[in-house]
Amino acid sequence: MSTQELFAILPLLVLSAGIVILLLQVSFIRGHRAALATTLAVLVSACVACFAVAGQVSRGPGSIGVTGLLLVDHYALFFCLLLLFSAIAVAVLGFNYLKHRSDSTSYPEEFYILLLLMMLGASTLVFASHFASFFLALELMSLSLYPLLGFAVSGDLSPERDQLLSLESGLKYLLLSALATALGLFGIALIYAASGALDFSGIAVAARQFGQESPLMLAGLALLLIAMAFKLSLVPFHIWTPDVYQGAPTPVTALIATVGKGAVVALLLRFFAGVDLFALPSLTTLLAFMAVASMLIGNLLALLQGNIKRLLAYSSIAHIGYLFVAFLMGNSAFGIEAVAYYLVAYVVTTLGAFAVVSLVADSALAHTPGGGHPIADTASDPFHRDYYRGLFWRSPWLAGCLAAMLLSLAGIPLTIGFVGKFYIFAAGVQGQMWLLLAAVILGSALGLYYYLRLLLVMVQREEPSSSGASGAIQLAISGRLLMFSLTAVLLVFGIFPQILINWINAL
Amino acid sequence: MTLIAIIPVLFLGGALAWLVERSVEGGSRWVTLASLLISCVLLASYWPQFSQAAGEAWWDSVQAPWIPRFGISFFLALDGLGFLLLALTLAMGLFGLIASWDQIQFRRGFFYFNYLWTLAGVAGVFTAMDLFLFFFFWEVMLIPMLFLIAVWGYEQRIFAAIKFFIFTQASSLLMLVAIVALVYLHYDASGQVTFNYRELMDSEIPLGIQYWLMLGFFIAFAVKLPAVPLHPWLADAHTQAPTAGSILLAAILLKTGAYGLLRFTLPLFPEASAAFAPLAMTIGAISVVYGAILAFAQQDMKRLVAYSSVSHMGFVLLGIYALNTIAIQGAVMQMIAHGLSTAALFALVGALQQRLHTRNMAQMGGLWARVPKLAAIALFFAVASLGLPGLGNFIAEFLVLVGSFPVNRWLTVIAALGLVGAALYALWMMQRVFFGEGEKAEEDSKVHDLNAREATALLVLAVGLVFLGLRPQPVFDTAEPAVVYLLEQMESPQSPNAVAESSPPNSDSNAVPAKGTTSSTTILNAMAPGSETL
Repeated sequence: MSTQELFAILPLLVLSAGIVILLLQVSFIRGHRAALATTLAVLVSACVACFAVAGQVSRGPGSIGVTGLLLVDHYALFFCLLLLFSAIAVAVLGFNYLKHRSDSTSYPEEFYILLLLMMLGASTLVFASHFASFFLALELMSLSLYPLLGFAVSGDLSPERDQLLSLESGLKYLLLSALATALGLFGIALIYAASGALDFSGIAVAARQFGQESPLMLAGLALLLIAMAFKLSLVPFHIWTPDVYQGAPTPVTALIATVGKGAVVALLLRFFAGVDLFALPSLTTLLAFMAVASMLIGNLLALLQGNIKRLLAYSSIAHIGYLFVAFLMGNSAFGIEAVAYYLVAYVVTTLGAFAVVSLVADSALAHTPGGGHPIADTASDPFHRDYYRGLFWRSPWLAGCLAAMLLSLAGIPLTIGFVGKFYIFAAGVQGQMWLLLAAVILGSALGLYYYLRLLLVMVQREEPSSSGASGAIQLAISGRLLMFSLTAVLLVFGIFPQILINWINAL
Repeated sequence: MTLIAIIPVLFLGGALAWLVERSVEGGSRWVTLASLLISCVLLASYWPQFSQAAGEAWWDSVQAPWIPRFGISFFLALDGLGFLLLALTLAMGLFGLIASWDQIQFRRGFFYFNYLWTLAGVAGVFTAMDLFLFFFFWEVMLIPMLFLIAVWGYEQRIFAAIKFFIFTQASSLLMLVAIVALVYLHYDASGQVTFNYRELMDSEIPLGIQYWLMLGFFIAFAVKLPAVPLHPWLADAHTQAPTAGSILLAAILLKTGAYGLLRFTLPLFPEASAAFAPLAMTIGAISVVYGAILAFAQQDMKRLVAYSSVSHMGFVLLGIYALNTIAIQGAVMQMIAHGLSTAALFALVGALQQRLHTRNMAQMGGLWARVPKLAAIALFFAVASLGLPGLGNFIAEFLVLVGSFPVNRWLTVIAALGLVGAALYALWMMQRVFFGEGEKAEEDSKVHDLNAREATALLVLAVGLVFLGLRPQPVFDTAEPAVVYLLEQMESPQSPNAVAESSPPNSDSNAVPAKGTTSSTTILNAMAPGSETL
């Protein structure tokens, strides 16, 4: 392992060191704020490391292979940066979430350790070029997600209802994710049996030699794809999504929806492009079917939801469906650019939406510390649509930010979501995938209904009758800052998309 | 350069109105008024081009790169057609503001914010010459309109707002796909990615694909227009919107559909449009008759006016797809005249609703004695809308019928039946609301008549309609270059380079259209009842 190779994985080294430092720090000085500070410092320095490595890579050969397990190139670094930025947002959200729910007997610091572990897994996954590193990274991600999903249980002051839901969410994810992992592992074994290689380039060579239509290889790839589809909650592997999203602490929901999915998309992109699986019609057809089903079913089921987290869960299923229209464009520069742009749009918007939901719920809990009493009606449930009635008049800035997120999710101009949708259309037209485009249009029309209904509930005239949702919602400065910066990103990249396009093409 | 200033003035005016209302009660109305007047002054700077009849086709243009990656630029341009519609937009914006000056009590600042942003979006639609920018403005005008309906509307506002939005948004996504496909085909042929309207006009597309792309555009515009199978959003949206919102919808937003057909669908896809014309004319004729029948069957006065719009806009569709100068001029005239008359009718219904708290015609009746001014003005606009000779609507519908008669006799006959229907529903409405015995007459005898503000605003529109009816020639002259240009595109699609050169057709450069121009102008002169005889 040369110094250059070591330097190339600097972001991963920074993250690993950060985990150790945080562990040591926590064993000597317990402190919520200190833990947050260390976490943010680690994440920011990992970002800086990404930039440094990117500079090195562009001076050098364009990509640096590290021991055959990892491959550092521009796209991996770009996705890694995106994930690290989302992790920063999640850390801030987590701080706001835990602030109201912890006392001297609880240990909020573990949240940050788990978060960093998850980030180490996600970043490794993005760089993976070998099934060993791929599998390790995936498992690291999943293993740190289980306790995070159930974090509301860990001796803090969450209402009992939240604790039960959180536990349910963690267990559900554990069982189903383990099943999916087993399928994926079996798939890897079959691929190995067919090709005799575990690294992506080796598989590509073997595939080219023996012809890609070997049944063993196809079966393995299909199984692997199913495991990935589970992580991405593509229909029909989406059943876990709404329950897990609803039950998990909201910052963790944001984490699993952005980092959890973004890393897998980045990996799939590299795997498909590296092994040239776009040439296999059976696989692309499979993906196309899953994409269409995700767009339609995700949007249809979202129509029925009153709980905002469940609504966003179904809407995220649909959005990953849209993303795969660009993904199916194949191994072209434009397809990758479209996927990257849409992923950025999706991550920013989803983070923003969950941030608002999380901050609103935190402020609701702050009014009733300990909040053990049962929820009387939907209007006093901070996760229900009715709680947001008239929010625009009570807290205009907060509601304005949520409105921007909703419009972006619906793909309305001036927002980053519109440019993302535009990329999807451009990719679909270029690839001449008319059926998929029809599904995108139909899905978007369906989606409008529930995004708009939530949006219009916020501007309704009626003042809420129940006491649960009256008065302006007070937010902590950190939460407010996060919300405004996400909205700013959303608007700037929506109005001047050229900036982000340049970055994507430059990286 | 003044062109580029109009849109920011409206956008900033909206933001300012919102801010001002926070500190000054009712100040937002004055800010709105001011920014509309400033825009009018800016638009009036094009008076020289307007007054000289045969000038350059394009009066002004502004272009700046926006998203170079896709060849998208911020490209605005103004021609006669755009000027007319922009003038209509600002005038109706002013009218809507004044007619409903004191009707908005709840969150006034946000109301006028949305009001001005809708107008800004429409102004952008009428001037955008880049297809991406056009789509952008097309969407920008929707969101504020959505809020206008959903927040300040009547009983079923949420339902109406969402229905309105889903219809328009889903159809405009079809248009977005068609736009992207058009750009891609152009890129395939020329190797250049651009959304520039004038450059895309050059692309030669095989008829089969052209037909599909044309349909994508057509459906988006037909929803807006609205044409019959795609009209269900209209009645709910118009009825549930607040008065000012209904005025914007009926007088301006419907016109964006017709404008889109004229500006984009026909010139970009000439052969496909020619092939589609009979079907489009049939849809137009059906809309005329069906809209009239539906209007006749309504109990709700506002719904009646809304369905009458379907009928009147059917004439526009019929005229546009007759593809000759007379009919298209008639369609343009109809866009303006219908804008004025329907805006006035919605203002009157709004005034009645404010006074009687009902729109149900069964509960009205015998109002003439109690609100004589309102009733007289309503009678004027009702007969204007049924096409009384001497008023703008008559000129418009007559020209459409004259122009489409040689193209398709039977459809013209069917559409002409719509005039009978219009007479029926308009007079029936007058009878039920203002004449006869009133049910609520005794209960609340103290109903205010129109005040000076409302009466003035309505009278100005009435004068406008009379002027259009007696002296329509300035409108024809202004729209002429755009119409001739359009028909030239339609006739000689295979020699696009002559047209696509930056200076569009002057009448002397090309003999055949010039002849057509003069002949059509003479016909128009002969037909305008006022210009010579009065």
